[in-house]
Amino acid sequence: MFGALDISTSALVAQRTRLDVISANVANRDAIYDTEGNYAPFRRRIPVFATGDPATGNSQGVHVTRIDLDQSPFRKVYDPGDPNADTSGYVDYPNIDPAFEMINAMEASRAYEANITAAQATKQMIEASLRLLA
Amino acid sequence: MMDDLLSGGALPVLQRLVQFTEARQRVLVDDIANVSTPYFKPRDLSTASFQATLRQAIDRRRQSANPAGPLDVQDTRELRFGKNGIETSPNRDNQGILFHDQNNRDLERLMQHLAENTMAHRTGLELLRSEIAVINVAIRERL
Repeated sequence: MFGALDISTSALVAQRTRLDVISANVANRDAIYDTEGNYAPFRRRIPVFATGDPATGNSQGVHVTRIDLDQSPFRKVYDPGDPNADTSGYVDYPNIDPAFEMINAMEASRAYEANITAAQATKQMIEASLRLLA
Repeated sequence: MMDDLLSGGALPVLQRLVQFTEARQRVLVDDIANVSTPYFKPRDLSTASFQATLRQAIDRRRQSANPAGPLDVQDTRELRFGKNGIETSPNRDNQGILFHDQNNRDLERLMQHLAENTMAHRTGLELLRSEIAVINVAIRERL
């Protein structure tokens, strides 16, 4: 019975990681320099889910298997005065669409809530079983 | 004598019901956990087939020489009834048609199944508790 709680927890961890990635995407929506100060527009991060839970070795559950970089083209902003502008005067900005990120964030938080509810239901079942012994 | 008391009557039936709801809980929780996993196919244990199997077992016991004897539940493709629990191999649900990865993401239906399953589990436990209370009364020899 406790295995069911592990499954819900693995999903909570995965969905929270997904929300972290989304937050990083939104936060870096205008970041065109990397941590070393070189010109490198931030690429959108995509969390990829897979079944199974390596933390418990359980075949049920879910985990973030890797975080991909979105290879779609960067957003072009016309700014000929910028030192990073190309020959036509365009600067590359991160390929992040805030609306897209918000939708994903909503989906992630709904999934998080669903798993909280599932964990609560499991907890109630365990408590009811324990009361049988008392 | 004590063995008959615990393995006969309604106790083994309720025990199987509680075991089944616990096994199904694990399957449903896994479905909910994987609601945003690409290519994941939700699974479920059929309550109808479990009830049919249980009913057959009860009918068989009723017609046998010892109607208060132990309950012998026959395994199905989904469920294998062991001594201390039920092993399951849940069926995959029908493929979804809306999403490319065929994970149909029916969160509403999953939550409904979860609520139903929790209630079935509680019902089984409450009945089990009253059965045990009756045995307790018999042991104490007073009401």
